[in-house]
This record gives sequence, structure tokens and C-alpha cells, in this order.
Amino acid sequence: MTLDRRRFLQLSALSVVATLADSACQPNRTIGLPELLGMLGPDRVREIGNHYRSATPAESTADGLRAAIFNSQSVFSGFPLIKHDPIGDQIRDDYADGRIVLVDGWVLSLTEARQCALFSLSVA
Amino acid sequence: MHTDARTLENGAVLEGDLCIVGAGASGITIARELNNTAVKVLLLEGGGFEFEQQMQDLYRGEIVGQPYFPLQAAALHYFGGTTNHWAGFCSTYDAIDFEKRDWVPHSGWPIRREDLDPFYVRAQKILELGPYKYDVGDWKMGDPDRVPLLEDSDVFRTKMWQFSPPTRFGTKYRNDIVNARNIHLYTHANVVEVEANEGLTAVQAVRIRGFDGKEFHVRAKRFVLACHTIQNARLLLASNRQARTGLGNGNDLVGRYFMEHFEMPSGELALAKPEMTKTRLYEFSGLGGTPRGELAITPAAQREHRILHGTASVEAGNYGEPVKSTFQFIDTVMMNAMRAWEKNGRKGPPPIAAAAAATAPRTPGPPRFFHLTTRQEQAPNPDSRVTLSTEKDALGVPRARLDWRLTNLDKRSMRIFYHLLGREMGRTDTGRVQIRDWLLNDDKTWPGFISGGWHHMGTTRMSDDPKQGVVDANCKVHGLANLYIGGAAVYATAGAVNPTLTLVALSLRLADHLKGTG
Repeated sequence: MTLDRRRFLQLSALSVVATLADSACQPNRTIGLPELLGMLGPDRVREIGNHYRSATPAESTADGLRAAIFNSQSVFSGFPLIKHDPIGDQIRDDYADGRIVLVDGWVLSLTEARQCALFSLSVA
Repeated sequence: MHTDARTLENGAVLEGDLCIVGAGASGITIARELNNTAVKVLLLEGGGFEFEQQMQDLYRGEIVGQPYFPLQAAALHYFGGTTNHWAGFCSTYDAIDFEKRDWVPHSGWPIRREDLDPFYVRAQKILELGPYKYDVGDWKMGDPDRVPLLEDSDVFRTKMWQFSPPTRFGTKYRNDIVNARNIHLYTHANVVEVEANEGLTAVQAVRIRGFDGKEFHVRAKRFVLACHTIQNARLLLASNRQARTGLGNGNDLVGRYFMEHFEMPSGELALAKPEMTKTRLYEFSGLGGTPRGELAITPAAQREHRILHGTASVEAGNYGEPVKSTFQFIDTVMMNAMRAWEKNGRKGPPPIAAAAAATAPRTPGPPRFFHLTTRQEQAPNPDSRVTLSTEKDALGVPRARLDWRLTNLDKRSMRIFYHLLGREMGRTDTGRVQIRDWLLNDDKTWPGFISGGWHHMGTTRMSDDPKQGVVDANCKVHGLANLYIGGAAVYATAGAVNPTLTLVALSLRLADHLKGTG
């Protein structure tokens, strides 16, 4: 089978749309599942989340936390073909730029702390 | 030659060229350097060749200020001194440790790190260490897993330690001393007073007293006090018949600036990818074992954040398990057990290893959690000091009174260290750091398990200015023409690492000076 030029462009466009959609959805899928889960385990992550919420009443609801995470950086508006791991990028940027918080003694990026807080709300 | 001073006649007077008071790492090092020279050395040791409770009790003292380990257990009073129970941890002080740092009050030595380099080389051999190499690259040892954490960091580096067997000076160098033609060792010779000339410009003699009341004198052209940081100060302060505030204390500095190294559990590290992160470089393989690294704050980061020099050991463990400070883990019971183990020929595992192994076993596989233990210099503090107690020892000498005091900079430095470490671990996604509770609150309060490493420094600190220090750059006491101080008592700042290697290097330097000045 051969692809004519028109067919090739159609497929390419579809591919870009699919990538955009995937990237846009990814934060919603992973935002409440911090990578810290693998490192610290769910109990400690929940504990960190509880500490963060009690110290930051303005970010004590799931909606508030999601908004804070999404609003804190512009990575989600970045070009999706490059930003495969926007949350990871945001965390790296937090550490590089000094957006660090101390929660229950843990030195964490602000995004990580908010993720923990979100996780603590999602798990009974 | 050796004489037990208890056999001397009351009123005897011994004479020599150089009198060294104290046969520990410093005194023995200086004496050995003068072996086979024309210098007649009289080496005075308060104890004998073995531990004796009666002698050790002379070191008992009063503790005020911060809690501290019992003084009679922290340093040993017999031939070989505290090397009879040291653990052998050795590393070099860095250039910044000698510098005047505007954020560390009273910092700065009159000598530089380069001045000590040739003596460090020689000290390595005395302490039975490897080559004078302390770069990580020197100690890869063909093992691809011996690589540093945070390799690309400007904030942290890996500082290497070498481990002495540990050298017990009392056994290793006993024959050198006893068989030396020009060195005469007197054991059970406790100096109770340093006596100066009428003008208080030079020392004429030291007075020795036995438990039976007999006294004798040692006269010499020059004297070195090398009888331990606290005891040196105590002896000078107690020599107050001629000078009311003690000898060499015209500027009220003797006993001040007592410093320790903090050795306290301070944080936890959780690795992000334990199966891929190599930590072997940081493993402790036992007394006299393979060189290992600790995470150290770089000089640039010390300057930027205006903090003290410190390191953190990285040791695998279980999250949440209790971690003891040095004072808690190696208590007097453990010290006695270790002493007995060595005396009985080191049969079986050392008690300290058995105690360490008794902690809960880790989960199988590469460890994820590591305990971070601080090793940090204490900021020089004139209010942290040794004075005289009203209580006297069995020889009639006032006991030492230790008022160990800390500053806000001490604790603030530790807390910032772990903040920075947490950030670097996160930035590189190596792991995450949890700072222990006691370190998170204010800068003034300290936990009950506060701990040093039995590293006693300062009390007769070094400075070119007699108003800032007791001894000059040659370790000579200001204002006294022939009195020198050996050992860690002369440290102007504590550095981050254990003091013995630097102590021996400084003693070699002093020995060369004494040789050179005839």
C-alpha cells in the first residue's frame, strides 16, 4: 500500500490531535497519584497530604488542589509533543526554582506536596 | 627508658631539655620525632600502661551548661591516651576550615591548610592509613558501584574518610619510647602545677604529686603540655599560685572556645530508584575498614548560605526505627565492653558490631531508606568553656568544670544543610529527605540526645593575636617563652571531620619547630 500526499497529511494531523489529547488528559490521570507513592508508600504519602492540607486551609479541597497545581505553572500550555510528563517537569522546575515546602519534615516540591494532599483526599 | 614515678624519692628533681606532659597521640608523636636527637626528652604520663580506675577518676569533672558525656569516660588517662579507645576515623580539614569567615565569629587560623599538607603526609603513616589521598576518584578501588551521590551538584560533594586500624599508640609505639636512648618516660607522674619564673615570662618546672603525697619536680628548657584539651586548660588554670587567673591566662582565654563535633541523627533519605542508585561508597565496613564517603556541604554553599561546615553519613536502615546519637550508642558500658574485647585479643565480633547488627533487619533487596547523621563543626564560642570546679581530685587539684554552650548558628547550619540536601536530592531525583523533628523548631533548643563525638577542641586556641588566642602559630603560649601546647586544644575552629589526623599533623609540625629551634 502506498500513501499519497493527501492521505499522509490527514494521518499526520490525526496523530498530532491524538498526542495533544493524550497529553492534555495525562495530568488529570496522574495528578492525584504522586510518584512519591512508589518511594514512600501510600501511608506516608497520605500522612504528608494530611499535614499539607491542615497547614494550607486554602488548598484543602480536591478542586482547590487541582486548581493550584494547574495554575502554578504554565507547563500544561506548553507544546505537547515535547512535554510528555508535565507533572514531572513541574516538579523538576519546582526543585530547580526553589519552590520547596517542608511538610512533616519532608523537603518536597510544592507540586509534590499538593499531589500528596490530593491523594489523601482520594483514599479512604 | 622508663621509670615508674612512684619509685622516685620525695623531693627529687629531674632535668632535661624538653619536658612533654602527657603521652597520648600528641605527646608520643612529638617524643618519637625527637628520638635519636641530642634533645633529652622527659615524657610524663599520669597513668601507667593499663587502665586504672584511680587514675581515670582524676579526669572526673563537673558538667554544667549542655548535657555532656562523663568527662572521666570521654578521654583516657594512661599511656597512649584516648587512642586507647578511639575508632580511627580520619579525614583532612579543608582550606575553608582555616579561613576567616565573616559569618563565623572568631573563625580563622594563623596557618593555612597548605601549611599542614606535608605533615598530613607524615601523619598518615603514624596512624597506619593509606596514601595521602582524599578525592573520591582515588578510592574507586576498581568497583563500579563506588560512585558518589549528587555527582553534578555545586552544593554537595562527597568527602572521603580513611580508617586507622585504629592505631593504639600505647601498644604500637610503646617500645619506640621505652627503648629510645634520649627519651625517658615516667609513668604515674601526674603534674599538679606548672611553675613559672618570677617575671612569669617562662616556665621553670612542673610539679608532680603521687597519691602517697610524694612530690618531685621536672626542670627543662622547654615544656609541652599535651595532656588533653580539657586537662591542658585545667592544669594552666590550676597553676594559679603565681598568676591569680592561671598561667598563660593574662587575657582570660584559657579554657574558652571549647568545641565539639555534633554527631546526631538528623534526617532520613528515601531513594527514588534504589535498584539503580549506587551507595557502596558510603558503607562503613568496620574498624580499620575500606575508606568511605560522607555528603559534605561545599565551601561555595557554606559561603552563600553563611553556615558552618558539616557532613552527613548515609547508612542504610529502616524508616522510622530509632537511631541513636553517638553518646547514646557508645555509652560507658559499650566502651568498657570494647576495651575488654581488645584486651582479650579481639576474639569474635566487636561488641559494637553486635549492637549494630541487633537493630531490626532490613527488607530484602537494595535498601530504599538511609539514616542521615550529622557530623558538623561547632562555631567557636568564648562562653563555651572549661573552668575550675570547687571540688578537688585525689591529688588536690581542682576538677574541670565543663560549660558546653552552643550558638544559634550551630543549629541553623544543620537545618539549612538538610534543606539544601533535600532540594538537591529532589532536583536530581535521587531521593527525598525528611528532616527530623528536633531540627525543625527554633535555633536555640536542643534535644535530650544531644551528642558530640568526644572530640574536645579549643581551650588554648591558636591566634597570632594574644587577645584572640592562647598560643601562636607555632603552638607556643603567648607571653611564655618556652611553653607549648600539643593536641586539639590549639584548634581555632573545629572543622567538620574527626580531629585526630590533624592533631597528629600539628604535633609533627610542633616537633619540627622544636627541633629547628634547638
